[in-house]
This record gives sequence, structure tokens and C-alpha cells, in this order.
Amino acid sequence: MSTTSRERILAAAKANKPEELPLPIVPDFGGEATIERFTTVLTGIGGTVVRMAGLDELEETLRQLFPEARNTTSPLFRGTVPVNAQTPTGILAEIDLAVLPGEIGVAENGCVWLPEANMLHRALPTITQHLALVLDHRRVVATMHQAYAQLPNTGGYGKFVAGPSKTADIEQSLVIGAHGARSLVVLVY
Amino acid sequence: MALTRRREVSRLYIVEEETAKMKVALFVPCYIDQFYPQVGIATLQLLEKLGVQAHFPAQQTCCGQPLANSGCERDALPIYKHFVETFSDYDYVVAPSGSCVYHVRKHFDKLDQTADVQHVRGAAYDLIDFISTVLNVTEIPGAFPHKVGLHLSCHGQRGLHQANESEMTPVRDGQLRRLMASLDGIELTQLNRNDECCGFGGTFCVSEAGISARMGQDRVADHVLNGTQVLTGSDMSCLMHLEGIVRRAKLPIKVMHAAEILNGVVNG
Amino acid sequence: MNHAIRADKFLLDADRTTWHDETLWFVREKRDRAVYAVPEFQELRELASGIKNHTLSRLDLYLREFEAAAQANGVHVHWAADAAEHNAIILDIIQKEGATRIVKSKSMLTEECHLNPYLIKHGIEVVDTDLGERIIQFRDEAPSHIVLPAIHLKKEDVGDTFHTHLGTNKGENDPQRLTEAARQHLRAKFLAGQVAISGVNFAIAETGAVVVCTNEGNADLGVNLARVHIAAMGIEKIIPRLSDLGVFTRLLARSATGQPVTTYTSHFTKPAAGKEMHIVIVDNGRTQQLGRPDFRASLKCIRCGACMNTCPVYRRSGGHSYDFTVPGPIGAILSPNIDMKKHSSLPFASTLCGSCTDVCPVKIDIHTQLYKWRQVLGEANEIPASKKWSMKFMGRVLASTRVYGLGGQFARKALRLLPHGLTHAPSMNAWAVARELPEAPKQSFREWYAKQPAPAAAQPAQPQIPA
Repeated sequence: MSTTSRERILAAAKANKPEELPLPIVPDFGGEATIERFTTVLTGIGGTVVRMAGLDELEETLRQLFPEARNTTSPLFRGTVPVNAQTPTGILAEIDLAVLPGEIGVAENGCVWLPEANMLHRALPTITQHLALVLDHRRVVATMHQAYAQLPNTGGYGKFVAGPSKTADIEQSLVIGAHGARSLVVLVY
Repeated sequence: MALTRRREVSRLYIVEEETAKMKVALFVPCYIDQFYPQVGIATLQLLEKLGVQAHFPAQQTCCGQPLANSGCERDALPIYKHFVETFSDYDYVVAPSGSCVYHVRKHFDKLDQTADVQHVRGAAYDLIDFISTVLNVTEIPGAFPHKVGLHLSCHGQRGLHQANESEMTPVRDGQLRRLMASLDGIELTQLNRNDECCGFGGTFCVSEAGISARMGQDRVADHVLNGTQVLTGSDMSCLMHLEGIVRRAKLPIKVMHAAEILNGVVNG
Repeated sequence: MNHAIRADKFLLDADRTTWHDETLWFVREKRDRAVYAVPEFQELRELASGIKNHTLSRLDLYLREFEAAAQANGVHVHWAADAAEHNAIILDIIQKEGATRIVKSKSMLTEECHLNPYLIKHGIEVVDTDLGERIIQFRDEAPSHIVLPAIHLKKEDVGDTFHTHLGTNKGENDPQRLTEAARQHLRAKFLAGQVAISGVNFAIAETGAVVVCTNEGNADLGVNLARVHIAAMGIEKIIPRLSDLGVFTRLLARSATGQPVTTYTSHFTKPAAGKEMHIVIVDNGRTQQLGRPDFRASLKCIRCGACMNTCPVYRRSGGHSYDFTVPGPIGAILSPNIDMKKHSSLPFASTLCGSCTDVCPVKIDIHTQLYKWRQVLGEANEIPASKKWSMKFMGRVLASTRVYGLGGQFARKALRLLPHGLTHAPSMNAWAVARELPEAPKQSFREWYAKQPAPAAAQPAQPQIPA
């Protein structure tokens, strides 16, 4: 590391910056914090929403949705492959389905906050072939402002996930399943 | 005669006393003066029919935009000063070209901001803007039974905010659209791209001649595709470029400045 | 070679130009629909602009705050004054790890610093993992767009490239199957990656976290499988608070592609147990731009690419016509700060239509800055001499009524009397390549006006309006 570059950059930034301008206050814009809105938006970006009456329906719902999933893992029930932060890459790469608890759903854009603590392994939500996020319907907020307002911090790692991995890098043709999960289902209870 | 005509039109419009007392100058940009005198004439006559006796100060030349847009703002300063001297005695300076007006309003900030300079910057109006916001005229009595395509000039629309921008809202509204829509029998073309630039861009039209032409061709193609018979706008510089494309391709579209249409339909 | 010449090359293939224009316009339209659906969108732009302006006005302080927070998170923070130092720092980290294979997610900064060729020269295998970037890496091309790097290519081009490099069937042009082939190919690279390099969309001073937004998930996959993560960021990526992301995440994807949000908005704050995280903070001309009052707002850019998608010039000239890492309108105001001589034609590659300014989610006055760069270039004699002298001449003519009147008469007469073949010869008249000149009228407006009876032409200074 170059201490001189650090000092030079900071000195130049200090010397060249404009007079101090105020930091705006961001209002809460309100908005529609409903599961219906969340469902419409997420469906529009390639995700699926499935309603459950309660968490006890989880495993049966998954069996119906993913009848062919062999290698499954989840902190919510006993899957076929136990995963933790030390699980080798080779095992992670074989996971068909990861079922993870989401924390907050955002109605305006269909994303779900997934903190590291809920991931088993940081790579799991993207390396799994299919991803299911379980979400309490009471945890749906209207906008990103409200979502960030509810986050105490972002932990060591965490992410908002909005639908399956996708790309349009070839002629702007939308293809679902680029590098991450090929499908995303949000199981709302 | 002009006076008689004005009185006749006065039956259609309440020409308020303030309107009649306004000191209005006509600014006819250099290229209109030289190549499109009929647009200057239509502007003068239309204003007259709306109760405004505009005057053309003969010492006027140009707003200086061609130089400034080429990176030679400093060489344009004498032109700016000449412009201010020419027009500082008038309440309003009206031009059938939003681009020039935008230049005066936005870029004359380079001059010392004397009272005259500030006055002229605020007094400069595009013709359609002047009719709509100063004269408060939103309807024109007359018929124009043709399919008309509007060309919204970027400087009038995005610069002077004379029309809604597609970047902001799906609602298509604006001063020119309102005035044109008030004509009997007119049908306004729905374009695929409501407000894309025509590619004129001042000296851009020769320094980037290839892109400029392609943009113009694409703009015209949108009008052809959607059935435009008469292509109009309130900025003659865009229209000069589009007319050049139309005539080269021998397309069955007539290009007219909005002043020509409006002046033509109002019985004088 | 200037922009116009490179643009003319692109225009030679008229059908491809049409396709390129329409494809990007389609993205612009998706953006419009997303924007119209958010009632407070214009207010969000104003807020984003305000937050960025504030941040720039305290940039040194926020950089210090960010550094301290990141270090407290166990992250190694490095500072690079320029591209060379950035590259050297990254190579050093890789070599200390004893790594030979790295995976990269999208980073315009590493493009700007030409990191890939530098690492390859030092024996490192570099794999770009964003699909578009991988395609152009195979073809040894530069990205032509900051969000859609391979937008200049058609699926047939990609099919040929993948046939050569990935062994897909000849003639296989289906985007779904081509993407699947890339997925399988890149999975192996991800699994074997030792060091992952990512860009940074936002760096939060308050928490020391970096935020990376992708649709493909390649940043998350690469970073979380490798032992070492290197995040490269320009100094302008700083935002003050975590909550500011509420504003920026609402703007970024809507402006970029019309999506409500990117698929992954990933917050990298601390390295995982047993792993390393490095952040390289880069200047490379940015503090200089900060010191230019007319141009510092360009540092607000969040790299959404909306100004490219809307630019009628960019859509018809292609990204490579700008010959700069960041093409399009934003590139045209960033590039002269880096090399004024080399990029002198870019601020002129615009009609100043202002659409770029209107779509910009952080309200950079792009078209005004283009205009101002033209003045800087004019003063620095970086515009063609012929243009400069003709403008000086025009300046004198147009400041004088008499000289102007005579010149106009002469030009119109010449236009009327000279043969069409001469007045419209492409070699002499760029206008006439595709356009007719206006028909020259016999008399100018002023000549007509002078012949009108009073009161029309009388007493211009003190008009008398009869009651």
C-alpha cells in the first residue's frame, strides 16, 4: 500500500471539492406494502410466489414444486445435504435446491432481503440450481426506503434477491438462468 | 392592409389594451432571413392578426449560436452584444426558432449581466411560446384538414419546456400540439418516437454529416410510416434539415413552419 | 481519427445500424415504462443528485470514514493514484496469494485501467464472468456499452464466437442455448477461481461496505467461492449512509434496463472466516475533475448507461466510435479530462438535444457540460483550424449588419445561379450528401420587409400602435 498515494488523493479531494452542500433528507414515500403487489412485480421479473397457510406446509409444498430435486438443503428442515460455512465447493456445486428464510420482501420491486445468517454458506444462494425463499407475509414493505429502514445492519454479507439469475447480453433476449439460480420461488406464509 | 386585418381578427380575440401596447420585436434568425423569408412573413402577419404589431429592427443579425456550439463562444461575444443592443428597447423579442431563443436565454450568461442583458434574456420568446403563454391564445379558429406530424425541436421542448418530454411522462401535451389540435379537420400523427432529435444540431449537421443525415432519415421515416402529409414544427432549423431529407428522397410530405400553417388558416 | 470518421464506418452497414438503434431504443422504452410507474421518480432523481453533490463536497472526509469503517471490518484498503498503481496493487495481492487464476465480474474501472492485459502479461489467467464481457473477451474487443458490453454484436456473431471458443455447434444462434453453454463453461471457472475481482456500485462510508449490483449473479458466485476478493472502486462511488441506497437502488436498474431492481443487490461488508477482502480506491484523474467546477458533476455518475440508450448519436454510431472506456454522452464529458487531445471530437459528437440530461438518474447536466467542453477545447485550440477560422470570420460578419446583409445576398445568388451538381457536390458540401439545400429565394426577409408600407417597417425603436 502506498501511503503517499493515500495522502495525495485525500489532499487533492480536500483541495478540489466544492463548498459544502447539505445532505438531503429522504422522505418515506409511502406506497403499497401488499403481498399482491409483491406477487405481481416478482412474477413480472421471472420469479414465482406461492402462498402457504403456515410453515407446516413447507415440505409438502416443496415436494410438489420440486419433485425431482435430489440434493436439497435448508436450515428450516432436514434436507439431503447438510451445508455450513465450511462446506467444500464441490458439494455446493451439486445442490439442486436451497430453501432459505428471507427477512423482508419489497413490494415495489419483488426483492427479498437475505442476510448471511440465513444462507448456510455465502455461495449457496447463487450456486444452487434452484432457490426458494420463505417469507412471512407481515414482513412485506412498500419500497426500498422502508426495507433499508428496517435493516439494523447488513452483517458481514447480505443481499436483496429479485427473481432468478438472468441475462440479456445476447441481443437483449432475456434468458433466465445465467450463473446463479435458474429459478426463484418465494414461499409466503 | 395590416390594420384592417387586425381589427377583423379582434372580433375573434379580445385584444387587450396591454397587448396592443406591447413593444414587440421580431427576430428573424439569419438562415430564415436568407432561405425562408416566407416564415418570417408568416410570423409577422400571424402576430398582427393576434393583435400584436411586431417590428423588425433592421440592424439584427444572429444570436451567435453557430459559433458558440462550435466551441468559439469568445468569438460570439460581439454578436451577443449586438443582439442585446438591437433588442433592449423592446418588451418582447419573438422568433420563429426556439433554438435561437434558448441560446439567448441560456448562454448569454457569458455577458456581463447588465440590466439590458437580463431584460433581453427574459424577453426572448419562441413564437409558439409567446402566443401560448404571453398572449394566452390556446385555440386558433380555422381549418387545416390534413394529417399533420409535429416535430418537437429539442431546444424548444427540453430547453424551453414547451412540451412534455417522453423522458418524464407518457402524457403527450405541449403548446404546439394544443394550438394545432384546435384547428378544424386536422389529424395529428401518432409517431413511434414522439420527440427524438432530428439530427440537425447546428454545425453538427456538417461535422457529423453521416450521423446527422441518418437521424434525419429515421425521423422522416417515422412520419412516412405513420401517414404524415404535412410536417411542421416551431423551429425552422430542424425543419430545414428535415426538408432537405424529404426533398432529396422525393417524399410526398410538405414541410411547413407552424407559423405558415396558422397564418394561412386565420382569415385576415 | 475522430468520432465522425468512426461513426461513418458503423453507418456503412445500414441494416445493422437500424438494428442497433432499435435494440437500444427498446431498452429506452422499457426504462420509460419503469419510470412512469414510479410517481416520485423525479423527486428521487433530485434526492440522488443532492446526496451525490453533498458527498462530493465532503469527499475527503467520507473517504476517511469509509476507510476506517472498512478496516474495522477486517478489510484491507489500498489507494491508487492512477491506473498503473491500481494494476500493480492488484497483481501484488494475486501474487501474494500464489494465485494464477482469477475470475472477474463487471468493473468499468478495471477496463479504464486496462487491468486484463496487464495481468495476462504477468502470467495470470483472467476470466471475465459477465456473459457480455466474456463474449467480447473471446473476441478481444472492448465493451461498447457500460451495461450491455456486447450490444454491438448479433446472436450470429456470438454463435460464431462460441463455436470457436466453446465448441458449440456451428450455426447455433439461439440465445438460450448459447447462454447455457456459457453457464457450463463459466461454472468450471468459478469453481476453480482463486481470486475474484469485482467492481463496486456503491461504497457506504457509514458501514465500510461495498455494494455490487448484477443480474447474472456472477459477482456473488465468484467472490464467495474464491479465497480472496478484490473490489476496485473509483473515489466517486462513496455514498454517506446505508439508507441512501433506498434512493439509488430505486433509480439504478429502472434507468439502466427498465427492471424494478437488479436481481442481486449484494452488500459485501466483512470477509468470510478464513478469507480475505481487499478494496482498492482509485483516483486516476477523478480529483482533477473534482477541481473543475463546470465538470465535477460528471462524478455523480452511477454508470446506469441510460444516456447511451437514449442518445440518438450513440444508437447510430455504436460504442466503439467513442474509442473510450465509457462511451456515449457521459463518456464524452469524462474523456477530455483524461486526454483532451485524443478525445477532442467527443464533445462534438452530439446535437445537444438534452435527452441524456433528462434521463440521467442523478441529474448530471450532460449536454451543458458537452457545450462547456467545446469551449474549453476551442480555447485550447483542439478544434480543427478551418473551423476555428471560419467561426472567427463569422463572428465579425455577424456582429455587423452591413457585412451580414451583403454576404447573405451573395450566398443566395450563388446558390440560385450555380449548377446543382456544384452546390451539392459531396466533396465540397457535407450537407448535400443526403440533403437538398434550401431553395434560395429571390429576396431575403429583410429585403421584403424594407419594401412594406408603414407602419410595418416604420419607427422600429418606438412602435406606434394605433388605438
